[in-house]
Amino acid sequence: MTASLTTVVTKFYEEYAKTTPSKLKLIDAYLFYILLTGVVQFLYCCLVGTFPFNSFLSGFISCVGSFVLAACLRLQVNPENKGQFEKISPERAFADFIFAHVVLHLTVMNFIG
Amino acid sequence: MALIYSFIVLLLASYINADKETLVLLDNLAIRETHSVFFKSLTDRGYSLVFKPVDDSNLVLAKYGQYLYKNLIIFSPSVEEFGGSLSVEAITKFVDDGGNILIAGSINSGDVLREITAECGFEVDEEGAAVIDHLNYDVLDQGKHTLIVADNANLIDAPMIVGAKKTSPFLFRGTGLIADKENPLVLEVLTASSTAYSYKPDSHIEEYPHAVGKNTVLIAALQARNNARVVVSGSLDFFSDEFFSSPVQKALQGGQKYPKSGNQELSDSLTKWVFKEEGVLRVGKVSHHKAGEKDAPQYYTIMENMVYEIEIEKLAKDKWVPFDAKDIQLEFVRIDPFVRTVLQSGTDGVFRTEFKIPDVYGVYQLKVDYTRVGYTFLNSATQVSVRPLEHTQYERFIVSAFPYYASAFSMMGGVFLFSILFLHYRTNEETKKKSE
Repeated sequence: MTASLTTVVTKFYEEYAKTTPSKLKLIDAYLFYILLTGVVQFLYCCLVGTFPFNSFLSGFISCVGSFVLAACLRLQVNPENKGQFEKISPERAFADFIFAHVVLHLTVMNFIG
Repeated sequence: MALIYSFIVLLLASYINADKETLVLLDNLAIRETHSVFFKSLTDRGYSLVFKPVDDSNLVLAKYGQYLYKNLIIFSPSVEEFGGSLSVEAITKFVDDGGNILIAGSINSGDVLREITAECGFEVDEEGAAVIDHLNYDVLDQGKHTLIVADNANLIDAPMIVGAKKTSPFLFRGTGLIADKENPLVLEVLTASSTAYSYKPDSHIEEYPHAVGKNTVLIAALQARNNARVVVSGSLDFFSDEFFSSPVQKALQGGQKYPKSGNQELSDSLTKWVFKEEGVLRVGKVSHHKAGEKDAPQYYTIMENMVYEIEIEKLAKDKWVPFDAKDIQLEFVRIDPFVRTVLQSGTDGVFRTEFKIPDVYGVYQLKVDYTRVGYTFLNSATQVSVRPLEHTQYERFIVSAFPYYASAFSMMGGVFLFSILFLHYRTNEETKKKSE
């Protein structure tokens, strides 16, 4: 059981390293960083309590929102998905990404208190 | 000219002695002679006594709505009906309006006396009943054991009412009182010893006596909620010249002989208390302000430091002097007390304390409620309002939220860095293409 699990993981990792374009790997690294920040924040809130609840929500939403936007960017920029996003060029995808981020950070700054 | 001066002096004299006007009601004017030492001690202290027989048809306490007397002494135990405009209702109203009364009963007390004392919270035993003590009677007793010796141990522990510790015991011959133990305003000044009881001396005992042992009160006192004072003694002879000067010696077991009874000292202290010479307090100036300021602000804010000062004075020999005590408490109350501290006594009778207003806003009262045996009731309440913090008085950045601030900014920084890398990213193929 464990043998097959480790083989699956190593095979996945090798496939990923070989077949994924570097641009997507860049986005993946950025996603991993956002994930780490979100998890640390959540653990901190569990330890210390929810005292400035609005600040917690704001910080956590900023992580979650950034994660979602970056994932969308990765989807739209991935050349393998070109069939599904015919009308949206990678530049347009990036522009949407930036615009959505501006709105997200505006909200976060207002709510963080 | 001399006439005008004497008129002015008379006016001033009457003004100064307004609190010492006393009406003395007597059964018969012989009491004036048999109790001469007692009355002389009162006049020496400045009281102006007016002696009247109790059934005098011109008796009047108030004229044109003003009371003529501040104090009343009723030395007429066997009175059946008051003369003039006096009655049980008039006397009760007199106490309600702040007058002080000293009442003395005896073995033959009339029902009117019973009614008056009942209004004040005590019960006088039935007519003919005397306090009998077969173990603590004096050598001079006539055989019925009604002339009893009351020890100092049976005196209430209240120096304000009974004065300093006495050395001689007291002589008593009269009826017993029963005080309601549930009544918080009633004080048992002198009780009989545990071997005493109250019954008719000549009858066989067929029923349980009304008062037995320490429940038999010889002298009782009451301070009403308006600070009027009433003292009831079961014995008129307690105040007589004969008892004042008589030696005291218990007949049984070769009791120690005391050359003079303690009656005179006790009656001195009692009259000083009941006629409001001793144990009278009043509140002077009350002030409160923020710590560091001088004037009272319009309102306070939560979590501020507040200083409270109250001036309490005591009456001593007709003059108001600063009072000193270590147990006056201040309560900061909004329905329930939030802060309760002891006030520190400072110089010249100003009690002060400093405390922190709690974290709860609302309308509070600064209450000082000082109730001690023998002293007048002291009540002072001052209202203050406490506001919550203004919007600008909160801390701008909360320390425990710093991780959240950090993450939000790091997300912004991350987007910025990521977009630079993403836009300028070139793979090896692209660089090769460009260079071609």
